[in-house]
Amino acid sequence: MTVIDFLNFHIVPGIVIGSIYALGAVGITLIFGILRYAHLAHGDLATLGAFLALALVQLLGVPPLVVLPFVIVLTAGIAVGIDRVFYDAFRERPKIITVMSSLGIALMIRAVVQVVWGVNTQTYTRGLVRPDDYFGLRLRDREIYTVAAMIGLVVALQLFLNRSKWGKAMRAMSDNPNLALLSGIDNRKVVMLTWIISGGLCAAAGVFLGLNTELKPMMGWSMLLPMFAAAILGGVGRVEGAVLGGLIVGIAEELSVLVLPSEYKAAMAFAILLVMLLVRPTGLLRGKVL
Amino acid sequence: MSVLLNMQDLVGGYGEADILQGVSMVVHEKEIVVIVGPNGAGKSTAMKAVFGLLTIRGGSIRFDGDDITGWAPNRIVQRGICYVPQVENIFREMSIHENLEMGAFLRKGDLSAGFDRIYTLFPDLKERRRTLAGNLSGGQRQMVAMGRALMLDPKLLLLDEPTAGLSPKYMEQIFQISRDVRDTGVAILLVEQHAKQALAFADRAYVLASGSNRHEGTGAELLANREVAEMFLGG
Amino acid sequence: MELALGLANYALFMGVFIGIYAILALGLNIQWGYSGLFNAGIAGFFAVGAYTSAILTSPHAAGRIGGFELPTLVGWVGAMAVAGLVAWPIGKVCLRFRSDYLAIASIGIAEIIRLVIKSEDVLTNGAKGINNIPRPFGDLPYVQSQIAYLAIVIVVLAVVYVAVERQYNAPWGRMMRAVRDNEVAATAMGKDIAFRRLQAFIFGAALMGLGGALFAHFSRSITPEAIDPMVATFLVWIMLILGGSGNNRGAILGAAVVWIIWSVSEIATDRLPHEYAVQAKYIRVFLIGLMLQLVLRYRPEGLLPEPLGGARNAPAATAKATPRNGH
Repeated sequence: MTVIDFLNFHIVPGIVIGSIYALGAVGITLIFGILRYAHLAHGDLATLGAFLALALVQLLGVPPLVVLPFVIVLTAGIAVGIDRVFYDAFRERPKIITVMSSLGIALMIRAVVQVVWGVNTQTYTRGLVRPDDYFGLRLRDREIYTVAAMIGLVVALQLFLNRSKWGKAMRAMSDNPNLALLSGIDNRKVVMLTWIISGGLCAAAGVFLGLNTELKPMMGWSMLLPMFAAAILGGVGRVEGAVLGGLIVGIAEELSVLVLPSEYKAAMAFAILLVMLLVRPTGLLRGKVL
Repeated sequence: MSVLLNMQDLVGGYGEADILQGVSMVVHEKEIVVIVGPNGAGKSTAMKAVFGLLTIRGGSIRFDGDDITGWAPNRIVQRGICYVPQVENIFREMSIHENLEMGAFLRKGDLSAGFDRIYTLFPDLKERRRTLAGNLSGGQRQMVAMGRALMLDPKLLLLDEPTAGLSPKYMEQIFQISRDVRDTGVAILLVEQHAKQALAFADRAYVLASGSNRHEGTGAELLANREVAEMFLGG
Repeated sequence: MELALGLANYALFMGVFIGIYAILALGLNIQWGYSGLFNAGIAGFFAVGAYTSAILTSPHAAGRIGGFELPTLVGWVGAMAVAGLVAWPIGKVCLRFRSDYLAIASIGIAEIIRLVIKSEDVLTNGAKGINNIPRPFGDLPYVQSQIAYLAIVIVVLAVVYVAVERQYNAPWGRMMRAVRDNEVAATAMGKDIAFRRLQAFIFGAALMGLGGALFAHFSRSITPEAIDPMVATFLVWIMLILGGSGNNRGAILGAAVVWIIWSVSEIATDRLPHEYAVQAKYIRVFLIGLMLQLVLRYRPEGLLPEPLGGARNAPAATAKATPRNGH
């Protein structure tokens, strides 16, 4: 295999799927870090985002990228709503109760998708897209958009977290919740912001997964494990870690076909997760261990 | 000097059990008051009571003309009391400057006067303001913790065992900083394990035992008191 | 007469399933109810048990290993052993951390098990599954055979119940519950507690494997599509939470109540025209998810509360002492 083939067949698809995992993993790492529980409905929230985009694409007859901002806002709102209606009631209870609740929410969101959109596989656009040739690298437009959007969204998030007052408040809450409360930071607002950001990024992950593959009710659930593996690999609470972790998991999955039957691609994420918990639970960038 | 904080016959604790069984103490303006006592005497609990962190079942706390008994911590912060916990009192993964900024979270408008005040008080911090607080030494962390609390310009600063785990050199430094803070017009109430050194440095002190007052007086008086000496100064 | 026979048969069928699910719920009770371990991969351990017993006891078939034709009892013990063996490394790695990590890893192991079952034809015969699994007293006429199997399930359930219940008041159970309700005590006890949690996780997983084996022998066949992993896992959870986590009789009661609701509502939706029937199935899934939310919020102790009470299940108003973290 030549170097260019290796890049085209393994590294490029790995970076594309890794960028999608990264978008979801950033939300998972923020929720894990700030709200302090594993959000098991994250994959299905991405599915919902992808199907909402499908509805808008069919309704308005425009490409999915045009509706993406609306879907991000819409899903962010739904995430805030789910928190207000369901998770918020468990605020004073042990965190694991919210984890359990989120498993139920995952099932409920998926059921909604299955009722509204059915169980068949769908796509945003019909027909094959031929990749363009960039000095031997074969890239499709949607692949470029995916990676570019991931970078853009993550840079914007980092600016928000590091420059704005409320972004810093989110970091403070993740760092030392008791001191943040003593300093007068409004916990409810931080929780809401966390859901807006995580929900929005989650929708983007869903839409880009739908754009690069197809839409299925199980699409998000099957991303859950890679997204968590990415968040833990990078270090819980670390946004840049989640991106790094997402890319590594994505590339590792695409490389795994060189040694394993392709059915076992999904096992890669699990292996990474277990190995990290075994040898370095704080992750590559020294995150939290709950 | 006028009375700033007046705690009268306070009874209370966490949840059901009463750890404080009638504690009274007074802090005047611009005064350093130390609470000492054996382990389990209720020293830190008495301080947390001021900050609204426990269930009060008797007595009252007045601060600067208001009855603040039973107020929530965020209201007490706004009223002019800031609290530095004994442990986990900094944001480790944020820079020194950001720590101070979070301390002033409730403050609207320009913070530069506040930053200037803190950096004048702690010149060491100014040089390293972009450093992550978690990477600092113990003494410097304590400065950050105090600086964070002082950003709201409180009238009373509560310090819970600020010298715990610090070397004697740093202990002296923290005491010196406390005096500097006091000289800017802030009263300080602090809990100390190192009774001998703390009594030597405090304006006045209270000795608690089993959740109630045992002795009070100026540091020098208490150091001269034989009973106090026997209690925990090792005779 | 025919209707009565149909109903009786349905009741037998339902009884067997309630028994199997009750064993799964008891397994989860050891893990979650006693020890606070979050296992979201119940279906995985169930499947391991089902396939293990199928491979050990079924007659020879071309294209896959097996044909050992061992006695059914050996199959069931094997199912428990292999399910416990699969649980071991997961528990070993994850039980040092908060239960969130176990939840994720158990979702992962269930996913891997699903992949292995679908892909390893030599072991599982792939999508076609394993057939001709012997059923004890399967040679009897249909109804008698159903009754006999129900009796077997009841006996197994009774044995499991006694075994699990004995642990509740044993020093082991007392310690697990103390640790479950107090994370600080858990950290203080360190290594010892990690080992005991591992025991609880393996014991629970073995019971789930046993449930799977009982299912496979009842159905006489097992295929990758036999159960919907998410729904099955979730049903066991709602059974335990609704019945009363920490309470073994509650787990059995919960299994009965939830399974009756679940299967009777299936009869109702199956009568709908086909285009609605599919949607109705998912509405049922939605409602069962909603039911969990409501039980967790308004009746966290379940129908039969834990005998000695657990701080964890106390209603929110009295649980104020838990530290207020980020959420």
